[in-house]
Amino acid sequence: MSRAAILTCKNLTIGYQNQKTITREISKGLNLQLNRGELVCLVGPNGSGKSTLIRTLTGIQPPLSGEVLLLDKKIADHRSEEKAKTMSVVLTTPVQAGYMTAFDIVALGRFPHTNWVGRLTEDDTEIILSAIASVGAGDLTYRFIHEMSDGERQKVMIARALAQEPVLMVLDEPTAFLDIPHKIETMRILRSVARSTSKAILLSTHDLNLAIRSADRLWIIDQHGALITGIPEDLVLSGIFGSAFGIHGASFDPVRGEFTIPIEKKGTFALRARKSVERIWTWYALERIGYLPADGERGDITVTIRKVDGKPVWEIRTDTVARECSSLAELIETISANDREG
Amino acid sequence: MKPGEIGMRERFRSLTAGPALALCIERFRKMTFGIPLALCVLGVLFVLDIMLGSVNIPLDSLLAIPTGGEVKETWATIFWYWRLPKAITAVFAGAALALSGLLMQTFFRNPLADPFILGISSGASVGVALVMMSAGFCGIGAVFAGLGFLGDVSIAFASVLGSLAVLLLILLISAKIQSSTTILVLGIMVSYISGAIVTILLQFADQSSMHSYSFWTFGSFSGVTWSQLPVLAFFLTAGFGVSFFLTKSLNALLLGEQYAVSMGMDYKKIKNAIIVNTAVMAGVVTAFCGPIGFLGVAVPHFCRSLFVTADHRILVPACVIVGGIIALATDIISHLPGTDLVLPLNAITALFGAPVVIWVIVRGTRFGRGVTT
Repeated sequence: MSRAAILTCKNLTIGYQNQKTITREISKGLNLQLNRGELVCLVGPNGSGKSTLIRTLTGIQPPLSGEVLLLDKKIADHRSEEKAKTMSVVLTTPVQAGYMTAFDIVALGRFPHTNWVGRLTEDDTEIILSAIASVGAGDLTYRFIHEMSDGERQKVMIARALAQEPVLMVLDEPTAFLDIPHKIETMRILRSVARSTSKAILLSTHDLNLAIRSADRLWIIDQHGALITGIPEDLVLSGIFGSAFGIHGASFDPVRGEFTIPIEKKGTFALRARKSVERIWTWYALERIGYLPADGERGDITVTIRKVDGKPVWEIRTDTVARECSSLAELIETISANDREG
Repeated sequence: MKPGEIGMRERFRSLTAGPALALCIERFRKMTFGIPLALCVLGVLFVLDIMLGSVNIPLDSLLAIPTGGEVKETWATIFWYWRLPKAITAVFAGAALALSGLLMQTFFRNPLADPFILGISSGASVGVALVMMSAGFCGIGAVFAGLGFLGDVSIAFASVLGSLAVLLLILLISAKIQSSTTILVLGIMVSYISGAIVTILLQFADQSSMHSYSFWTFGSFSGVTWSQLPVLAFFLTAGFGVSFFLTKSLNALLLGEQYAVSMGMDYKKIKNAIIVNTAVMAGVVTAFCGPIGFLGVAVPHFCRSLFVTADHRILVPACVIVGGIIALATDIISHLPGTDLVLPLNAITALFGAPVVIWVIVRGTRFGRGVTT
């Protein structure tokens, strides 16, 4: 075993056991490893067992067989305080507490380190403030948690997990309630924490695109509980996403690294333009209304983008129509009108 | 601590010195200004509670009594046998109820939880109803009435037994059940069953035992004698002590059970400590003073907004003091100074407490704890 390993699973079977007789295996034969300074994203379709795996790895739920080793010691054998100094968590359930400032919440992270009344030493205070600063929440320090937005609250909860000073942080869907800029911000924070403090970070997420762009490694669980690991780019090239998430009505685009809405083909287009942002978004717009790029020089429709006085002008040509449009809306309207007539 | 992290910490030391100082000053103000001020109010009300009543004792005579000065004999008697034990009881009972309310609200993460949410008072009322009714039914009522003091003791004893029975039941169930919400619902169900039993018992009761039962439900700080006071003080002081030991875990529980466990809290141990501590405090108060409502639910909310914090290191002492203050205030009002009338204590606590609860719910939608689940 490599010396950098913080968490290791050996031949792990996860699932539920009800009334001692009924056993529901979700995934078996798992051999996984989490290393220092590594950000790992756990992805998988709904109901694939992401939460069960997280619960088993954090010791909330016992494995059906096999073992989870935290720093070379079985997770169940750790004393609760010792475990808390090794691993901290950020849960999905939103925290609802009144009259608590961000400082108070983050200070709770010092729980396993303080004395019986929870008195904060000068060192504790510094650790708390630097945890808050490292997630970029310095201006929130003395604000009440119930006055914060979801994104701000998530930062505070991550700071709390940091203040616990673990070597491993486990986050259950930390980006779930956030808008896209805040999702990206959260991932950026986590990645920089993993790099700068050489902690291991494991998080589960539904944001595949974000996971592919930011994780050092991905753990993918498919619908049947099979787990595939690897670095994101290898996994994209192997085409595993399409089969792991195989649902009708969504297809994985290996170029963009995300799921796209399948196109109902209406025709083909030829696009004549220089490499530019306008070219990309004209391409997307045509795809959206059901036109795919033609193989040769000629498609069912031909669109040329020209610049007139610095502004783009779209020239459309079909068998029956030829006109110039000043916006993509006009272009799409022209094509749709043409479709209805033809 | 890694060398790299120390560097980062030192970099932030200069940046964060300002707000950290502000925070220290704020904490300092709460502990050194707020708490002593509350203690002063408690002292004033304690004296007022002794002074005021159907017979008002002037302050100068009051001060002369303990020092053995010359005062009217009736005043001295009222002071020693009536007012002083009553005021001491009020402080202890109010503090215990407020504290157990705080423990329950934090444990269940429910702003409407009170000391009796586990069914403690309903258990006590079944015990008391059983003693009173059986006494009336078997014709021993006369014996009790004649015994006076022993009658009180047997009521207190029955009340403790009733609370204990419910407590054991809750503990047995909670050993199997982890979820605090389930325990909450069970407590409420136990209350309904107890209520039903009391109603049935009342059907068979005669007029006088019915009267004495309803008198018990009014609640009062006046029934505690000097011989009973040490018992009350011993259990409640122990309860206060245990609560101080629980502050750290109570703070962790503010984030919920799962976070508390992930931070290294022994949930099972703390759960049992909270339940037993609440049951003992609420059970003992109910035994000696009857089921006193609203104090337990209202005072913790009052303290949270007064001290603008959810930190139990401040809330625990604050609840002890403010609980005592509110208990003394309601006791003074219920005795309608200057008249011979005494209003039921529970009527006064409800008149004060219900608006507080309404205020908490209404304003909770915008800020504060609100009604959380």
